[in-house]
Amino acid sequence: MCLICFMLISAAIILDDMAILLAGGTLGAAVLGRSLIFDHRMREIVSSVSIQRSLSKNSVRNGTPVSVSSEIVFQGSSWLQIEISDLLPPNTQLIEGNATVISSREPGEQTKTCTYRIVPLIHGTPAFSGISVSVRDPFFEGSITMTRPEDCEPVLSVLPSGLFTPLPSESSDGTRDSRRMSTWSGSDIHSLREYQTGDDLRHADWKVSAKYGKIFIRRYSLPTSLPPFIIVDLPEYGEPYPEKEFDRMIAEVTGLVRHTIETFQKVSVLIISGPNIIHLIREEKNLSRCMSWLQEGLHPAHRPVHFYHMQDRTDLRSHLRDVEHALALDDDTPAQVFFSVLQDRFIRTLQYHRASAFSGQVARTISPFQMSDAFLFSLGCSDTSHIRQIVRPLQSQHIRVHIRIIGEHPGTDSGLKSPAPSSEVQV
Amino acid sequence: MNIPRHEYGFFLLLVITTLVTTVITATSFWYLPILLLILFSAIFLLTQTGRDRVIYLVCGGEPLVIICGTMNLWAGLIIQCTLAGIISVAMGFFESTWDQRVFALFCGILSLVTLLIELSNHVLLPLFVLGAATTVILAARSVRMYQFRKQYNGARP
Repeated sequence: MCLICFMLISAAIILDDMAILLAGGTLGAAVLGRSLIFDHRMREIVSSVSIQRSLSKNSVRNGTPVSVSSEIVFQGSSWLQIEISDLLPPNTQLIEGNATVISSREPGEQTKTCTYRIVPLIHGTPAFSGISVSVRDPFFEGSITMTRPEDCEPVLSVLPSGLFTPLPSESSDGTRDSRRMSTWSGSDIHSLREYQTGDDLRHADWKVSAKYGKIFIRRYSLPTSLPPFIIVDLPEYGEPYPEKEFDRMIAEVTGLVRHTIETFQKVSVLIISGPNIIHLIREEKNLSRCMSWLQEGLHPAHRPVHFYHMQDRTDLRSHLRDVEHALALDDDTPAQVFFSVLQDRFIRTLQYHRASAFSGQVARTISPFQMSDAFLFSLGCSDTSHIRQIVRPLQSQHIRVHIRIIGEHPGTDSGLKSPAPSSEVQV
Repeated sequence: MNIPRHEYGFFLLLVITTLVTTVITATSFWYLPILLLILFSAIFLLTQTGRDRVIYLVCGGEPLVIICGTMNLWAGLIIQCTLAGIISVAMGFFESTWDQRVFALFCGILSLVTLLIELSNHVLLPLFVLGAATTVILAARSVRMYQFRKQYNGARP
């Protein structure tokens, strides 16, 4: 239409013809008029749009799907096609459903609902990005992104997740352990497995092969010590923390990492902040890459989850046993009343107390690693009750845990003692 | 064939205006408006269910506007208004009272444009006035749209 108008006006200028100018000018006026009417209608529609989102869960872990249901109310039009898209929060992925609604060509208020599922990829508190409204008629098309605070509600709380995929177990390839000493080069025969194409036949165990009628290959391993697993507990972002001690802790961690890589050729570091897993460096062999990760990651971190000095179930049971024992021994009535009340409180707390998700995450995270020692570095400031949740799964795997509390903090509540500015507690 | 009542009325007005203008002015090229009228009528009737009907109607109608405008400028205006009416009805822009009022306003503005052209001896002056008016309107529209977008992008009013 604009092209026809342009051609007519050009012809009018060239030919100096008033009739052609009339045709071109009036056509141009019509196009301009329609564009003004379109703008007016578009503004009316955009002003009428409102959205109400509801989430299946307000707080999710990253990688966990969350369902979103958005109810969109707007003013429809008989000659305009309206398309409204719910803009997802940043760093999320749409996995199911459709976040766009299209109007039916009817005037009056319309209510449309779109339901979809998203997966947050990064932890944090991302808000929705707003709404995108596209309006189209046979001649014009316009779109506007609405990002007012009310268009971006609610805020999704994405908690960090420690669900790191465990490495496939070495014992899954059908091997059989045969821990007997070998005379061959002082190595230990770790296991036997069936011959596979490419295996060195010099390593065949002919006795076993003759016995079973299949070729078995020896797998050797040298008796080596395992690298220690390093856990760094970062202070909370925004809260006061002893900076000198923190710098010292980083220096100690980097020193241990360097020593571990030089000695064992690899190192694994788990970075946490309270009961939140921040990052896992898995069996890193490159020292400079490991150092750059540490440089990037060793800063105070947000703690979306707090334990609030929570005691775990084992401690509570232990306290309960002590109280029961005291009740049995004590004949004094006021003391018995006190212990009865205490016993009642412990029993009630145990009834509603669940094992923390953090403890399970730590157990799943460390399960693929082979280690005999673990070093835990912490400033020990504020709540340290999560340290128990780390130590317990490690102890259950017969791993020696060396806790390094840097600095002196008399208010700690983890059951750990920190008598010196820098102390090591072996659990 | 289901032709809307308003569309039929506009078409009838267009035919009558063309014929009356041709008869009254009695120019030497009297056959041209008749031929273009036949062509437009054919387009009007054959494109009832076509997807791009509007563009065919404009392409068929504008030569008729130019020929009738050459004979008489006000006749050209009436043909242009009836053509706009046919297109409005075809697009569904003539259904509500508000639409009809907008159409009446549009016809009024076209009359002013025609008056401006009628009073001018050459194309340049009315073209300059039309261009200036269009620029002012587009500038105002851009500013309003910018303010509107800013308001809905979360900026404080």
